[in-house]
Amino acid sequence: MRQEQFVARHQHEWQQFEHWLETRGNARQALAERNTGEIGDEDIPARYRRLCQQLALARKRGYSPVVTARLQALMQRGHNLLYRTPTPRWQRAVEFLLADFPRLVRSEAGCMWAALALFAVPLVTMFVLLQFYPELIHGLMSPQELAQLERMYDPASDSNKLGRESGTDWAMFGHYIMNNISIGLRTFASGLLAGVGTILVLILNGVGIGAAFGHLQQIGSGDPLWRFVAGHAPFELTAIVLAGGAGLRLGFNLIAPGRRRRIDALVAGGLKGAKLCLGIAFMLLVAAFIEAFWSSTQSIPASIKFTVSGVLWTLVLLWLWRGGRNQAGDADAS
Amino acid sequence: MLDTYREVVTPEGVALHLPVAGPVPRAVAWGIDLAIRLGILMLVGAVLALLGAAGEGLYLISLFLIFWAYPILFEVLWDGQTPGKKAMSLRVVNGDGAPVGWLPAITRNLLRTVDMLPFGYAAGLIACLADPHARRLGDMVAGTLVVHNERERDAAAAPVNAVLAPSAGLQPAEQAAVVAFGERAPLLTPARQEELANIVEPLTGSRGQSGVLRLYGMANWLLGRR
Repeated sequence: MRQEQFVARHQHEWQQFEHWLETRGNARQALAERNTGEIGDEDIPARYRRLCQQLALARKRGYSPVVTARLQALMQRGHNLLYRTPTPRWQRAVEFLLADFPRLVRSEAGCMWAALALFAVPLVTMFVLLQFYPELIHGLMSPQELAQLERMYDPASDSNKLGRESGTDWAMFGHYIMNNISIGLRTFASGLLAGVGTILVLILNGVGIGAAFGHLQQIGSGDPLWRFVAGHAPFELTAIVLAGGAGLRLGFNLIAPGRRRRIDALVAGGLKGAKLCLGIAFMLLVAAFIEAFWSSTQSIPASIKFTVSGVLWTLVLLWLWRGGRNQAGDADAS
Repeated sequence: MLDTYREVVTPEGVALHLPVAGPVPRAVAWGIDLAIRLGILMLVGAVLALLGAAGEGLYLISLFLIFWAYPILFEVLWDGQTPGKKAMSLRVVNGDGAPVGWLPAITRNLLRTVDMLPFGYAAGLIACLADPHARRLGDMVAGTLVVHNERERDAAAAPVNAVLAPSAGLQPAEQAAVVAFGERAPLLTPARQEELANIVEPLTGSRGQSGVLRLYGMANWLLGRR
């Protein structure tokens, strides 16, 4: 069949399809209006496949770009529409946080434990070391940093805020969001450097936190320090470890892809990491909220703070350990 | 491989041509986005400065959102385009040509952190130049591509005049070339039309303007106009 006859025969179909794309292509609009066009919404997949077949024919027969380019453009628009990602729903988001996220974490238990070790071992070592060799702190922090740290947690201070020198709750909330979530996300992302970036971030954070805590404990500022960190630690420390675990997974997938192509292993690790990062960002958001509005209040007695902290630790660990256990979903599947 | 098309076969069995974009238009698009982001930040900062300390917190939150969420939200909700990409007529798509979803968009934008290493997107640039589909590291891990938005081809239907059967049988590629001449020549200058038609003098058997007309006639014949 010659090109002109081909066009004449199918022209009408193409125009109908194009008309449908223009009037019904936007899902939200399509929901609101009735379909008054010539083709019903349910016919579109069949129409689309027909168009694909016509495009293949046109290409095979060597028709000119006037026809093939037009069909290709139509097909591409149809393809984008039929294969678009479904819009997320709120219920799905809650389900993800409560069930899918803990399941994802458990499915990478090995990496998570490794990240925990990389973070906790330097932290505890530093803390214990500083109790016996207090002078070590001078190798890690400059005198200015040290002075600032000591001022922030000075038990004799008459400030009504713990753990900060200035700034209102709101300003600090913004600061914690910007700072902490960025650190969490970077901890994951730097795993792409064969895991080295993540390992470094975890160890350095462990050493830094261990040094600060150890020093404050040793000079007798332990009480304000613990009262400050108790509230948000369950979310913040856990989130850093989980971000590290996701980063390690990505790094391992690069080094040892197993029986997959390296790029496929990376894509799998990346998608998993992106999901984990959603949960991690949420945890750090909660942590920032607690840190800004609860942890820093001076007036709440230590007993209440430690009780709340204990409850939160229990909840976080229970959530990660038991969350999504009773559902038949599979975190690996998607 | 000079051709930067990536061909993806859809489930329906036809090939989708994805013209991937190289580092230069992408860098320009990023620059435009950066300018827009800084502009928004300055505006937000000026407004929030009036609110005092609470404003400072909100400013930091918006800084966070503009830094991390801006590209993700735009790419997912606005058809794979940030304003900068729109200006450069680029689009982010999944590796299979489908619109980009939430998870790939999040992955590719989180991993900018790595592409930026050690400075000025050097890692991303090297990956982009080494990869046949010009993907930076984040794109590889997310399984996404940045493609040029197809421009409408400015080909018109061949003018209808005489119909002339070619004097000899033509190979498919030759037929395609004659038809392409018929469709594109009206956009060229007469001198250029003649120059092109003169190349196939053995086929048309004449030179100059009459050669052009004869070639048009053959294009019409090949298109099926009788």
